[in-house]
Amino acid sequence: MPYIYINIILAFVISLIGTLIYRSHLISSLLCLEGMILSLFTLNALLSLNINFTLSTIVPLILLVFAACEAAVGLALLIIISNTYGLDYVQNLNLLQC
Amino acid sequence: TLTLTSLIILTLPIITTLLQNNKTNCFLYITKTAVTYAFAISLIPTLLFIQSNQEAYISNWHWMTIHTLKLSMSFKLDFFSLTFMPIALFITWSIMEFSLWYMHSDPHINRFFKYLLLFLITMLILVSANNLLQLFMGWEGVGIMSFLLISWWHGRTDANTAALQAMLYNRIGDMGFIMMMAWFTIHLNSWEFQQIFLTNPKNTTLPLLGLLLASAGKSAQFGLHPWLPSAMEGPTPVSALLHSSTMVMAGVFTLIRFYPLMENNLTIQTSTLCLGAITTLFTAICALTQNDIKKIIALSTSSQLGLMMVTIGINQPHLAFIHMCTHAFFKAMLFLSSGSIIHNLNNEQDIRKMGGLYKTMPITSTAIIIGSLALTGMPFLTGFYSKDPIIETANMSYINTWALLITLIAVSMTASYSTRIIFFALLGQPRYPSLAQINENNPYLVNPIKRLILGSIFMGFLISMNTIPHTTPQMTMPPHLKFMALAVTLLGFTVATELNNMTHNLMFKQPSRMHTFSTMLGYYPTTIHRILPYLSLTMSQNLATTIMDSIWLEKMIPKNLTTMQKTAASLVSNQKGLMKLYFLSFLLSITLGLLIAL
Repeated sequence: MPYIYINIILAFVISLIGTLIYRSHLISSLLCLEGMILSLFTLNALLSLNINFTLSTIVPLILLVFAACEAAVGLALLIIISNTYGLDYVQNLNLLQC
Repeated sequence: TLTLTSLIILTLPIITTLLQNNKTNCFLYITKTAVTYAFAISLIPTLLFIQSNQEAYISNWHWMTIHTLKLSMSFKLDFFSLTFMPIALFITWSIMEFSLWYMHSDPHINRFFKYLLLFLITMLILVSANNLLQLFMGWEGVGIMSFLLISWWHGRTDANTAALQAMLYNRIGDMGFIMMMAWFTIHLNSWEFQQIFLTNPKNTTLPLLGLLLASAGKSAQFGLHPWLPSAMEGPTPVSALLHSSTMVMAGVFTLIRFYPLMENNLTIQTSTLCLGAITTLFTAICALTQNDIKKIIALSTSSQLGLMMVTIGINQPHLAFIHMCTHAFFKAMLFLSSGSIIHNLNNEQDIRKMGGLYKTMPITSTAIIIGSLALTGMPFLTGFYSKDPIIETANMSYINTWALLITLIAVSMTASYSTRIIFFALLGQPRYPSLAQINENNPYLVNPIKRLILGSIFMGFLISMNTIPHTTPQMTMPPHLKFMALAVTLLGFTVATELNNMTHNLMFKQPSRMHTFSTMLGYYPTTIHRILPYLSLTMSQNLATTIMDSIWLEKMIPKNLTTMQKTAASLVSNQKGLMKLYFLSFLLSITLGLLIAL
């Protein structure tokens, strides 16, 4: 497997671990989510260019669109949590259940 | 010769407005003498017409041609316009002389005279127009001048609202006028009267309905009538000129002009008849208990206009025209004498505060008595020559009995409210404060009233003797119908005298329901003026704010979705929210799976 793919997949795995393990702030999880999406995007773009399959150049674009929506939803959730609790500490999430 | 003289008549007043010298004192006298000479000159074509019965159409300036429609400036001098122009000029002359006395202390009296002159010019344009465009220009001009003159004392909010009311009601009528013009353009390709009458189209209901709406707006028929009593906020010369003799005649005049089309259309005749009958009765009922002398006279004008509509409805336009001409005289005189009373009693307009003027103001009280008698159709005064033939013809025609009965009741009410004015203003003991100085010595006050008295007495005879009847008048009828008009008038007189004498002795504690109906003008302004704006505003509020903004954009999808999801989530899940633990177990299971697979 070419070296570059391994590089990017490694970036993806590191971001995944970063998403799942975080200490206190919720926003760090969201940042790592963005990193995952970035690495996936780069992987897709390079793959369709190297294999010369030009029909699949649309796939990174669609991925980008859905990533934008998802980031917006994530930020909205963050804001609602911040509105009810004041901070985005993860310990708060079991205190006031609505 | 006819052409030159008539054009000179129209341009003489115009020349005086072109000399815009507002600073000099003699602008007023120049205007008055211009109108006097215009009146004298206008008698020449009229006399020529009486002698030769030859109508003339003058079409001189070709303005433009729009596709196949030729618009030019043309004047029609037939029986109607040639008879009406001298009368309008005579009355304007008298009113201008009167307003030299009435508006003497007004700093803007030059502007007042300019407005009166502009009004006269637009009225003459309306009367002598041969095509609908010119008539429409006169129509609009008259409306604008009415607005400017009613709000003459524009510091008073009541005057401003009354002027706006007049403008709006006129506008509603104008819609009908424009519809009629559009119909004629589409179907007959012309706006000239000759072409319209020659082609004589068969299905004229729609444009004539438009014309009826326009006349109802201009002449204050029922449904579009409240502006006329409110228009009494203007100065008395304005009321005398506009709202008694000339402007409110514009609607009836246009209806009379279209009589060849209306002869063939029975639907329009019936609707004109019913509208006129309702107007007559309604405004006469309202005039019975008003306390402001100008409002009584204004409602009396409205009632007489309804009578003219009734006459048109029984297919007698010439009788309506003669009644219009004679009515101008005595109504203007009634207004002028009421103006003289108001000024002499120091701006007192309430008849409950007048009285005993019979001895102190002899000329004015003579004028009021003669005017009221002429109005009610006393035999051999002016009103008799126009009103009696109307009632006789109405009795003998094949018309709706209900309309006929209502007209007769309204005629008796005419006598009643005229008696009320005479009783409260002239007879009895004075009820005004005794410091009022009553002075009738100014010739500017006395001469117009004297001229109009002469006109009220003799004009009916002169006009009816000098015109050739276009339809055969009713000659034979049973005696009880012949005396009907006189009988109902006498009935009105006696009943009113009895009731008014009773007010010396009896007093009722609380007005009965009929009394408040009449005093509040039939509740029509109170209801309609509030309901119509309220309905349209709530409808627009419902459409724009409630439906669009609140429901569709805000509540339907976003808020509903959030509440649904929240209730569902809180019902279904029983998580404890330990996020880090869940994520760690996820990571652990993924690594374990990868390790086992590899």
